[in-house]
Amino acid sequence: MDRLIKKNWWKALGVLILLYVFVMGMLVPLKPGITQVTPSATRTNSQIVLDVQGYNTHFDEAKDTMRIWIKMDDEYILAATRITVKGPTQVEAAFEIPAYLPSDRRVQDFALVIDNHIDGAAVRPNALLVTQDSIDLAMGQTVWRSDRMENLHQLKGITFPFRNILGETIRNTYFHVSLWLAMMIIFTAAMVYSIKYLRKQERRFDHWAAALTTVGLLLGGLGLLTGAIWAEYTWGKFWSWDIKQFTTLIALLIYFAYFVLRRSFPDEAQQARISAVYNIFAFVALIPLIYVLPRLTDSLHPGNGGNPAFGSEDLDSTMRMVFYPAVIGWTLLSCWIASLLYRTAVIEEHLWDEEPTHD
Amino acid sequence: MKVQNWILTALIFFFTLSSATAQSNSGDFMRSMGKMYVVVAVIVAVFMGIVLFLVFLDRRLTKIENQIKDHG
Repeated sequence: MDRLIKKNWWKALGVLILLYVFVMGMLVPLKPGITQVTPSATRTNSQIVLDVQGYNTHFDEAKDTMRIWIKMDDEYILAATRITVKGPTQVEAAFEIPAYLPSDRRVQDFALVIDNHIDGAAVRPNALLVTQDSIDLAMGQTVWRSDRMENLHQLKGITFPFRNILGETIRNTYFHVSLWLAMMIIFTAAMVYSIKYLRKQERRFDHWAAALTTVGLLLGGLGLLTGAIWAEYTWGKFWSWDIKQFTTLIALLIYFAYFVLRRSFPDEAQQARISAVYNIFAFVALIPLIYVLPRLTDSLHPGNGGNPAFGSEDLDSTMRMVFYPAVIGWTLLSCWIASLLYRTAVIEEHLWDEEPTHD
Repeated sequence: MKVQNWILTALIFFFTLSSATAQSNSGDFMRSMGKMYVVVAVIVAVFMGIVLFLVFLDRRLTKIENQIKDHG
């Protein structure tokens, strides 16, 4: 029993971590947010009533502390003159837009901010576009100085961030993004074993490299599939030839060719040597395909087209609490699967080697 | 059945399912509750991938068993 625990503890650890990821990833609620603001455009010197739709909000219970603003930047803010709560997720806010804006642009965008004591503060960027009839920066600046946005409430308890369009699918970070990082770790390990094989020429290193590459390919395939499902409901299409979708497909095809290559050599030593060299080549191709090329042009993926990946915008501290364990959990589970493949390959080798003596 | 047949069957099943959902109103279903069911679909996909792998490993082990039976 002791030996069993000593040898296999990491498998149990991987499963426990993944269990934590599933429970936390599915059960932690989303932060209250704003899904829709109508109408989305108006002119200066007018009265407007905005219909605001919330998500996970408690407008009716927090009626007394409700405050709503439209906001150009930290300095120029306008508070709602009248707030009518219609339900837990619906509220109407009336604004009196002054004749001039504190901006020299003809059309200026405003964010909408809602605050109450239960939900805390929620922001919707670009909620309202205001077109001004005549531009007078100085007049605008004097008219817009009155309102302040102070004493915003902090939401209690742990939540995941609310993002428009994403909604609850932000949880896919733990079941899609983490798969890719686990895949990178597995492919790196496969490359290390390929180098080891080339240095020592021991058959077992080749078995490990092949097993790990198989699992890496499984993770990558699942990454593409889950990404396509996620894309259908956020980008609108399963496959939109996005640069990152395209380059990862190429990278996976390169790795797929590894197995085609392995089968085409009858001599075992030659097979192991050439596939080890090819595996190193595939890894060298993988890095620019996944991490460099998508950043050079515009992509639908966050963290590409010049944006830093995993900034605080994409991944806040509560999400990190689940995301990093998810990467470790998937990696450990993949190592377990790879070890099954390795052991199978070793048994197969023994059997095939014995075969001639039996016949 | 060969592995290729299994994969083909899974793909056809997947496309039938997706075209069926496109025709009915289940796009609305997938988008309801803040698109929660998209997360469910993703988790189901990962689970099915792991099951598919188990089938693959099962077949490989069956071959080994047959080999041992034949020679042992």
